[in-house]
Amino acid sequence: MISFSQVTKRYPGGHEALSAVNLSIEQGELVFLIGHSGAGKSTLLKLIAAIERPTSGMVTVSGQNVGRLSRLAVPYLRRNIGLVFQDHKLLFDRSVIDNVMLPLDIAGFDRREALKRARAVIDKVGLLMREKANPVSLSGGEQQRLCIARALVSRPALLLADEPTGNLDAGYAADIMAMFRDFHRVGTTLVIATHDDRAISALGGRTLRLDHGRIEEVAA
Amino acid sequence: MGWLRHQKHALTAALGRLRAQPVSTLLTALAMGVAISLPAVLYLGLGNLGQVAGNLPAQPEISLFLDTRAADAQRAAIAARLKQPDIAEARFVPRDEALAALSASQGLSDISAGLTQNPLPDAWVVRPQATSRESLTWVADELGKLPGVAETHLDSLWADRLQAALAIGRAGVWLLASLFAIALIAISGNAIRAQVLARRDEILVSRLIGATDHYIRRPFLYLGALQGLLGGLAAIGVLAIAGGILRAPVERLAALYGSTFHLLPPTPIEIAAVLALTAAFGWLGAWLSVTRALQQVEATR
Repeated sequence: MISFSQVTKRYPGGHEALSAVNLSIEQGELVFLIGHSGAGKSTLLKLIAAIERPTSGMVTVSGQNVGRLSRLAVPYLRRNIGLVFQDHKLLFDRSVIDNVMLPLDIAGFDRREALKRARAVIDKVGLLMREKANPVSLSGGEQQRLCIARALVSRPALLLADEPTGNLDAGYAADIMAMFRDFHRVGTTLVIATHDDRAISALGGRTLRLDHGRIEEVAA
Repeated sequence: MGWLRHQKHALTAALGRLRAQPVSTLLTALAMGVAISLPAVLYLGLGNLGQVAGNLPAQPEISLFLDTRAADAQRAAIAARLKQPDIAEARFVPRDEALAALSASQGLSDISAGLTQNPLPDAWVVRPQATSRESLTWVADELGKLPGVAETHLDSLWADRLQAALAIGRAGVWLLASLFAIALIAISGNAIRAQVLARRDEILVSRLIGATDHYIRRPFLYLGALQGLLGGLAAIGVLAIAGGILRAPVERLAALYGSTFHLLPPTPIEIAAVLALTAAFGWLGAWLSVTRALQQVEATR
């Protein structure tokens, strides 16, 4: 589903975040990216979602050469990818339910259908009681769950999560990882960047270690 | 269906944003209204001046001066020629009457008093049917060739001058309107830029979860068009107030000239045109502003 071939990413200023990375991820896989901060985990995820473009090499997602995608085509790629951010990127000028409905609005869903879907996914992450609340009033763990709900509402085949438990205490982190395990079971491809070793041992799955822009497989 | 839903969604969002900031909406509308009202006032003023010019005997006249030695038969032939259908009106002015009129004119009585005999010829004042400059010249030339006619004088110069002055005024209106259209785009673009900056996060997040440029632009375009429409309404309000203030003094002045002149309000078509243009320029300003902002957002990601 995802393949990297000799991918190098150098940022303006000369910092090389990824060096000649080769990588292949199959549909339905659960993959953890580990490594110290600045190792290139976020860059790798950004290349998959076409938020950044490779300096050289080729990134393909579902057969599309993502690095060469035109500006007009990028939105349609992103509609098939759920993104979970460490800083949540929620909009605080609207309610919980409206945050979750944003991807459906963008995709042009009928409002009633969108409401139904949004309610279902908010229920799944356990926030149905707070659907009218402003995200500001939610705890860190609840905000992260809301971000996950928004990423999942359009039923993407691929979910990318960048440090989803980074700011959370152990209890919340376990909740979230359990949620990811459920999505993995229904066939969603997940790529999760984390430094939370407990989570990895709990979920199993494949683990890739990034170190100074180079990637290596970690034996289970 | 998706398209229509997006339009409705964007319009609702735009209306919500206008309502959320009533003071800045009002101020922007006022700035636009004042800017548009200047060329609009000039346009209406010229329209009214044109109306005044139309009410005056602007139809040019040809003065036909007869040779003092013209024979009676020639005079009769000239009178017969002036009864033909291409002449709307012809009035004979005997030389004695002309002298009397001259003596009655203020400031000229001294001159006529010094005359021992009447130097003026008999004359006809002729108003042809045709009013275009070419046909007037043609009629004047033809009448001048009649035996017994000493001289013709085409009395249309002042009307031509008035028309020329009005033409300059109209060109000025378009010039001014173009300048203020640019000002309108700038005002709208600036107002929308503030909105875009305030919604930077929303734009960034929307792009991350698959929003197209169209989707992001749309509410801002509606916002610009609605803001322009409000500006147009404000301009019409300014015109209505100006008309209300000017009506009485203008009609008093007209009455002193013995005219029943009334200020002409803008026609419904003119009002619709102002609203359509302000909405269009508001939209254009918004488009420029959002497109620039989208490029910047992309660059500073």
